Amino acid sequence: MRVLELAYVIALGAGLGLASAHYAVAERPVVGRAQIGAWTTWPKSGARDSDPYMRAYLARGVHLPLGAGEGLLLIAERDDAGQPLDGRCRYGVSGVVPPARGWSLTVADPARRPLQLTVARESFSHAEIVRDERGGLRIIAAATPEAGNWLPLPPSGRFLFLLRLYDTPISSHAGELRPEALPRISRVDCR
Amino acid sequence: MSMLDQAPLLAPAAERTRIPAFGWRDRLGRSLRRIILLTLMGLVLAGIVHILTVLLIPIMAERDASSVYAALGSGGHAELITPAPDGLPALAEPDPNSVGAVCGFDLTGGPVRVVAQTGALPLGLTLHRHGGGVAYAITDRAAIRGVLEFVVMTQEQLDERLAQDEDGETARELRVVSPSPQGLILARVMLRRPADRADAEALATSVACGSAD
Repeated sequence: MRVLELAYVIALGAGLGLASAHYAVAERPVVGRAQIGAWTTWPKSGARDSDPYMRAYLARGVHLPLGAGEGLLLIAERDDAGQPLDGRCRYGVSGVVPPARGWSLTVADPARRPLQLTVARESFSHAEIVRDERGGLRIIAAATPEAGNWLPLPPSGRFLFLLRLYDTPISSHAGELRPEALPRISRVDCR
Repeated sequence: MSMLDQAPLLAPAAERTRIPAFGWRDRLGRSLRRIILLTLMGLVLAGIVHILTVLLIPIMAERDASSVYAALGSGGHAELITPAPDGLPALAEPDPNSVGAVCGFDLTGGPVRVVAQTGALPLGLTLHRHGGGVAYAITDRAAIRGVLEFVVMTQEQLDERLAQDEDGETARELRVVSPSPQGLILARVMLRRPADRADAEALATSVACGSAD
């Protein structure tokens, strides 16, 4: 009886402990996350004092995150209305980008790998954008060609937007950003 | 025989009928309490295992960037990792608008000096420790006369250098303490346009890293 009880405690402890640790660091951890409108960022991911969950996540893959002071990565899985980003829809990315020496907006698959699309255009940098007469930013992301700054999407399925700000003064207080300071992601229509 | 005489004889019989029912419930209650206690012990153990696992993953890491790219840059200059060299895994979450070159370092042989010339494109240098995580980051804005230079060392090596410094003389080098003796220096250059790639690659691979002494 005692052996059975001991086996139960050990199995429960080891099983639940290992499974929960795996689950906690298999993806970017919930700990240390900051949600700003549609964008998610981990302000401490590139800091010397990053939390143990972020360190464990980074140790499990070939990750070389942007250092604090070097830049900031923001990820959007959903549009401003909270709907998951879907290749069957058209999206407008507009508004302002926080002050930075340079930025890039990339489309990636849910595992944050580059999309293998036939059109060789998976990102825009600050210098490649055609701006409107007021200097505003307007990028159209869609599976079919669009006029202006067209970012091709996969024909269907989930995808992500990744916004990288290089050499930005906001990286130290990214968690306090307001949604208006970041580009808006609005769904135009869906097939 | 009076009623008083019969009373003691009835009582044991009544107890005999009540005991089995009371014992069954008692045993069930005790088993339940035991299972709850064992489950709580299991949950406490799970918490300990969870914390230990999360803390041990970076220490035991063998597939992190600094382990995978450790051999790159041994020739004294950073080597490109975008695209990944033959036989090595590709970088996770790559930015198509930047190029990266790395130098693996091992401080057991002494401090390592990193020297980068700045160019027209934004350049960032980061120190990634073994087990993942950025220990130091600097951009070309901090360059002096177009050169970014720092020396990576362990805390012991820093203490040694501080002891050797002349009194009153300020150290002329920027000293960076690495939390782990092995790690990676990454030079990341942002591309403004795709045509900048050749310039960016030349800038990233021109970063020199060698013994500081």
